[in-house]
Amino acid sequence: MPTLTIDNQQVTVHDGATVFEAAEQLGIVIPHFCYHKALGAVGACRMCAVTVHAGIFKGLQMACLLKVEEGMVVTTGDPRSVEFRARVAEWQMLNHPHDCPVCDEGGECQLQEMTIAGGHGRRRYRGEKRTYNNQQLGPFIAQEMNRCIQCYRCVRTYRDYCGGRDFGVMGSRNRVFFGRFQAGPLESDFSGNIVDVCPTGVLTDKTYRFKSRHWDLQEAASVCPHCSLGCATLPGGRYRELQRVRSGINEQVNGCFICDRGRFGSSYVNHPDRPRQARLAEQPVTVVDALQQLAGQARELIETHGPEAVLLLGSSRATLETNWLLQRWAAELGCRPPLLAAHTPRHQAARVAAFDLADRLASLAEVRQADLLVLFAVDPLAEAPLLAVALRQAVRNGGRVLVYDPRPVELPCEFEHQSLTVLQIRNLLAEETVESTLLRELLDRAARPVLIGGGDLLGAGGLRHLQRLATKASSALRPCLVHPVLGGPNSFGSALLSPPEPGEDDLLTRLESGRVKMLVCLETDPLLEAPDGERFADTLTRLDELVVFDYLPTPLSVHATLFIPSTAPVEAAGSFINNEGRLQLFGRVIEPGLPIAVTGGGDHPPREFFTVTPGSDPQPAWQLLQQLLGGRADLQAVRQRMQVALPCLAGFAELQPGGPGLRAAAAVAPGRFEESLPEQPLGSLQLLVTPARYGSDLFSRYADKLAPRFSAAGIILNPQDAAERGLNAGERVILDTDAGSYRLPLTCHAGLAAGCALVENSAAFPHLVPGGELGFCQVSAEVAHD
Amino acid sequence: MSTPQLLFKNRRPDETVFLDGYRASGGYQGLEQALKGMTPEEIRLLVKEANLRGRGGAGFPTGVKWSFFPAEAPGPKYLVCNCDEMEPGTYKDGELLLADPHQLVEGMILSAFALQTDVGYIFIRYAYQRQAENLRRAIAEAEAAGYLGKNILGSGFDFALHVHGSAGRYILGEETALLNGLEGKRPNPRLKPPFPATRGLFGQPTTVNNVETLANIPHIVTGGASWFRGLALTPGSSGTKLYGLSGHLNVTECFELPVGIPLREIVENYGGGVWQQRKFKACLPGGASTPYLTAAQMDTALDFDSLEKVGSRFGTAGVTVFDDRTCMVAVTLNLIRFFARESCGWCTPCRDGLTMVRWLLETIESGQGTGEHLEMLKEQLLNIRGNSFCALAEGAMGPVDGLLRLFEQEIIDHLEAGKCPVTGNRTI
Repeated sequence: MPTLTIDNQQVTVHDGATVFEAAEQLGIVIPHFCYHKALGAVGACRMCAVTVHAGIFKGLQMACLLKVEEGMVVTTGDPRSVEFRARVAEWQMLNHPHDCPVCDEGGECQLQEMTIAGGHGRRRYRGEKRTYNNQQLGPFIAQEMNRCIQCYRCVRTYRDYCGGRDFGVMGSRNRVFFGRFQAGPLESDFSGNIVDVCPTGVLTDKTYRFKSRHWDLQEAASVCPHCSLGCATLPGGRYRELQRVRSGINEQVNGCFICDRGRFGSSYVNHPDRPRQARLAEQPVTVVDALQQLAGQARELIETHGPEAVLLLGSSRATLETNWLLQRWAAELGCRPPLLAAHTPRHQAARVAAFDLADRLASLAEVRQADLLVLFAVDPLAEAPLLAVALRQAVRNGGRVLVYDPRPVELPCEFEHQSLTVLQIRNLLAEETVESTLLRELLDRAARPVLIGGGDLLGAGGLRHLQRLATKASSALRPCLVHPVLGGPNSFGSALLSPPEPGEDDLLTRLESGRVKMLVCLETDPLLEAPDGERFADTLTRLDELVVFDYLPTPLSVHATLFIPSTAPVEAAGSFINNEGRLQLFGRVIEPGLPIAVTGGGDHPPREFFTVTPGSDPQPAWQLLQQLLGGRADLQAVRQRMQVALPCLAGFAELQPGGPGLRAAAAVAPGRFEESLPEQPLGSLQLLVTPARYGSDLFSRYADKLAPRFSAAGIILNPQDAAERGLNAGERVILDTDAGSYRLPLTCHAGLAAGCALVENSAAFPHLVPGGELGFCQVSAEVAHD
Repeated sequence: MSTPQLLFKNRRPDETVFLDGYRASGGYQGLEQALKGMTPEEIRLLVKEANLRGRGGAGFPTGVKWSFFPAEAPGPKYLVCNCDEMEPGTYKDGELLLADPHQLVEGMILSAFALQTDVGYIFIRYAYQRQAENLRRAIAEAEAAGYLGKNILGSGFDFALHVHGSAGRYILGEETALLNGLEGKRPNPRLKPPFPATRGLFGQPTTVNNVETLANIPHIVTGGASWFRGLALTPGSSGTKLYGLSGHLNVTECFELPVGIPLREIVENYGGGVWQQRKFKACLPGGASTPYLTAAQMDTALDFDSLEKVGSRFGTAGVTVFDDRTCMVAVTLNLIRFFARESCGWCTPCRDGLTMVRWLLETIESGQGTGEHLEMLKEQLLNIRGNSFCALAEGAMGPVDGLLRLFEQEIIDHLEAGKCPVTGNRTI
């Protein structure tokens, strides 16, 4: 723990810290370009020069590279350092165009800031500027290479950190070029991060081009809703339109980066078909009237038909507060406790995460530091993209990644893949194979092992096996941690609020009993978000009332007898609990309302004037529930009550958006260990339904910006299985499942485990939903019509 | 010629000596001697005692460099020969390999034995196709003769040697950039520490030495350390050196002469005097990155210490002479154009700083310059030198340093005349 003096202030830092970090600790910002805390120091830009007066190396030194020594004396503002940094800024600016007025980076440009901070203000160079031809890099990223100052951050992010391969550095001297070998869309699922790291306007968000200046944006620390990881984000909106999303920083979760699904998948908020008006039997009503109607009807039905008559359904994409208030409202109404997820198998898996695994959950930070990572039935790029980047960091630190998965899994790092069917993986976990013994030995030898389990394919039973394996592989010296991948952004939260109870039944059982007269769906559409959508659709006809609260134009919202618009996550404060039990708050970014771009028909300012904001009826679901409960409590008061009622949420009320969040630690309550795996019918294939990388979760499905990345419908078989059935790649085949028959074009992939059929859930094929019970199917040739 | 010829003893016009000729003149005796009677450590000590200094330009004592190398540590280790000779005015390694490639092969086998590495690479300049062919043939001959491969001369020592062609950029002469290039990566210099002796090629301990340095090893082994030291003319120096003469001299050839020979002797005796009966104005004593010497410094001994004392460097001993009708601004601009073009583009002072220097020199040389440009040039020297990522920009500023220190009046003449004052100069 050396102590040094920087600008006459003493500071003690951790061993191995650099002068740059020490200065940061004192709040002194040393101008810099190439240094980035996630990418490290490379000493390329030379901007962070400081003067060392006492130390081994005296004189001008690069603060980012210089390790602190005891007794060092450093100045950052002395004339020599300032003069040198001014020269570096001048060099950086030799070729930089003076196009700040039309540059998207203007106002949030590190080059602007550092040029000022560097003290360079007058152009003296009158030579020729070098210019480039730009490349088309696809729908997300705009490139303007003339602005480049060669900090190399983009390649260090795209290639080194995120493992992309189709973007790099070419050329030399002052003609260095950052781009693709040939123009074309960037292939990485993490391409947008180069926008965040670029210190100037070379790489900007194409979807946000010419929309706003940074200072005009409304921003708030937020949490990404696109998967269960809960990455920190910084969405920005203006004129009632969510215009862009940047990565936030949460060292425990995503670090500094996010995936493209999270970054470019936010335009669901501005979806043109988004329902913004309360409706009663197709007729517009005020929200107040709608709530009155709902409360009155619910009471009446319960009085007439008993507590089973009203079924309240929460959701894994609704906030923790909303789900909790839904439980309170059920108690007040006197109906049965609400179900907090439509997707029962996913909910059960989340409960295993929340209760059985509570004492051994690994954060993404722990994944990055692990030396052995074993993935059981997880395809990170589809189910939890940033997990793939975390795995890459583990590999870069010398860690090893083993993947047991039937799918042709791709990862942006080295890994060993064993293509096993789901049943084989379950057997492996149940320690019934030779491989299990080998795996145990590997785990025993590892210093920081983490098991990663996909809730969708493993199910609750598989995750419980994973828990048993982790317990056995733990020792007094070190635990073996588990990182479960779950279904939705608040799956863990919904599970935590509803511990398993004996004799409970699921959504379809209750609906099919015929006793339910009113179904209230709170920010969920079981038609799209739960398996057996057709069975669910059949039960709708038996209902007297279907009430839907949502902010997405889901099919269910069209069927609703009473519809009440709620706000999207960026339009209200709230909280989610991510897959490792981390409770995180998000703030309100924009107020709900029709974007001015819509009301003005592209004109600005709009030519029509209203006394109220058009489309501003949606209210936060928690607030709507609070009105049903008759109270006027604000969100803070709700959180106070929640942390009193639920000890595992201690600290909730003090939490702020944007921090690391806090672990909502439930007491470990191992579930009952019971599972009977179904027998595979002869000649059948195991049916695998996997989320598409884009357009499977409903947020991204309703995000038009992501449309270029949506995949087409199709089915994948192992070539051997296809040959046995006389099927050829490229042909349409018939997929017969319990849920129905589908015609799909066939692709063959040797990376898929034999004995499996793989389909992607997406906008093009929404019929089968990932995470259902282990099922089987038949695939056969299409019968020719003649 | 009275100088003992070590490296050039087999040099004949338009002729390359291969195994028979090399052996006939005592080749591979050093290797046999060492493998039979010396330990690796004894060779390392001998090289240290001989005070051999690196011939690639930096002049770091080879024995000291080798002492940092974990020779006794287990695991893969590499010996790399830097033959990416690309500094303007430097061509001695090329000459050596045209004349006598087995010297390098034997030198590398001996060095590999001293350092206990079992794989070696010769990283050779793109333009040296003939030299590369010579080396490949020499390696094949050495393999056939049992000097390379498994269990060399029954000693139990294994060594495999490979020739790797460079893609042809000046930066590849920087040893860590060279290692990146050899690994198939972009040849940006690496951050140091770790130094190559700790983490070099493919992350393993590596020593990188210049061709001429390695070719000296057999001679040191056979001749001994004190003999080698005695070859030099100045105290503290050792050995002979290949001096590549170029520029405005009557004879522009490469000579093997003692370290410490005075510049005057090189110019007058070996270079045959300045061409066209003109006068000596200045020279680069050790390649393009060394500051100029003027006529007043003609009696300076050409060795590491003496040249440092007069503000220049021995470098690679590529002596480039300029006559009295040469514009030194134009010469410096020419050199800076080379260095700016060869910058790898990694760090700002080199990539953009040299661009700025080039523009300043162009402005001055074309007669558009003002006092402000002269001040800016001084500012560039102060800020680029010592502050770049590797030695490229540092070296590039050598001539600029010489220009400002020795020829400032010539710059002022440009500013006052509004044009290049040197008659007949057509460099621009």
